[in-house]
Amino acid sequence: MNERTDKRISNLLKLASIVAGLVLWHVLAVYVVNDRTFLVSPVVVVHTAYDMLFVNGELYPHLFASSWIFFYGFALAIVAGVPLGFVMALSPAVRDYVNPWMTTLYSTPRIAFAPVLLLWFGIGGGAKVAIVFLGCLFPILINSYYGMRVVNREFVELARSFRLNSWALFIKILLPASVPFILAGIRLSVGRGLTSVAIAEWFGATEGLGFLVFFAGQTLNIPTLFVGVAAFAVLGMLGFEIVRRVETYATPWRKQSQGG
Amino acid sequence: MPAKNLPRKDLLRGAISIVGGLALWEFLAQLLLENDLLIPPPSSVVRSFWNLTVSGELNQHFAATLIEFAYGFTTACVIGVIIGYFMGMHKRFDEIMDPWIATLYSIPIITVVPLIIIWFGIGMVSKVIVVFKITAVAIILNTAAGIKHLDPVWLELAKSLRLGSWETTYKIRFPGALPYIITGMRLGVGRALLGVVVAELMAANAGLGYLLRDSSETWDSPKLFVTVFLLAAMGLVSFNLIKRFERRMAPWRQSAEWSTE
Repeated sequence: MNERTDKRISNLLKLASIVAGLVLWHVLAVYVVNDRTFLVSPVVVVHTAYDMLFVNGELYPHLFASSWIFFYGFALAIVAGVPLGFVMALSPAVRDYVNPWMTTLYSTPRIAFAPVLLLWFGIGGGAKVAIVFLGCLFPILINSYYGMRVVNREFVELARSFRLNSWALFIKILLPASVPFILAGIRLSVGRGLTSVAIAEWFGATEGLGFLVFFAGQTLNIPTLFVGVAAFAVLGMLGFEIVRRVETYATPWRKQSQGG
Repeated sequence: MPAKNLPRKDLLRGAISIVGGLALWEFLAQLLLENDLLIPPPSSVVRSFWNLTVSGELNQHFAATLIEFAYGFTTACVIGVIIGYFMGMHKRFDEIMDPWIATLYSIPIITVVPLIIIWFGIGMVSKVIVVFKITAVAIILNTAAGIKHLDPVWLELAKSLRLGSWETTYKIRFPGALPYIITGMRLGVGRALLGVVVAELMAANAGLGYLLRDSSETWDSPKLFVTVFLLAAMGLVSFNLIKRFERRMAPWRQSAEWSTE
């Protein structure tokens, strides 16, 4: 068996698996369960998605609302996380003082902060952005920290032998060397940010994908629920892919970066 | 952070940072804020914690969350390792499972929680399922990767020692994949904790998530903060336990000080 046929069989198997799964789902939904408030056929889900995207456009306001929250929180996390990570890497004192708080905040399930932040910021946009910010901050911060810590010694020695001052050392050596790590942190944050958006929109929101999913769950509107979940999955994969492209573009010397 | 290089200094600074932060918080909350609701001072949080412990309310919720977590996690470990093993061993099985595992992996779990609650009710079962799903996917993916990336030299060794297939699995493949499996567990722990709290928050009558919701809806800030602290402690403890476990079971593998999720 040569490689080409093997590849073909492999793709065929994957396709067969997807088709078989969908058929099973359809049969289960239509002939076994037969209860629209419990499970609907994938056909109905696709139909609903089509309606919400192209006929009545119901999905768009939610999509936009969620995107704004996501981007604000995400951008703030990058703006705050990268410098803080650098400062922690360059100053052991700052690191030691910040570390216990950071470890605690990082290992707490994020949902626990949601009611507290809501209490502080109210149910407007502020609390939602803050929840996303907290969700995205730590992977970015920690990766920036590591990026700066593990800069190859030889690079630094090279800089010293060229008598670079510390600012030039930072700009020309330390910063570029830590870019791959920062990007890996950003990639990890995409998924966490989306989860945080969903969390944020469950509390006192009136629009957004998280609200859509939550409301559909409360009203037993299964097709809409599935569409919302699928939207989250698609956004997650999209965001991941975008960051991966940026990674290969920005750091062409790295073939494959580790993460997650 | 290499704790061995600076045994005292960083610990001391950490302690100063925590004690100082708490004192500052207490001071500011007592002095500046008229309203206890926004940021209750640590002292009233401690008082609330004491009251909740004495009345037994806290124990009951804590136990509920812990049991849900334990059930989901252990079943996920067993089933995840078995499925992951077969995915690593048989390429065709891997290809059949792959699209579905990848889909499950890319869906943020908390968006599926409403669905799981509709299917399995508001009781304990739905939370166990949530924990199971999160942990199982992480373990399956990592176990399969571990089995696939096994050093071929070890398998040759097994062959030249004439190990049977069961012995090869038990003595070579499983220990070889163990670091990966533990990584999967570690990834699962944090997310599963989030998942179980979300599920309890949405619909439950016991558990820390329920307590979180209850206290925020009744504007009982000290109680809310008690719950937040407890969840933070749970996160810290479980993370450190698994890190220790990892170091013990797979000492040859360097582990990162902070997990990246």
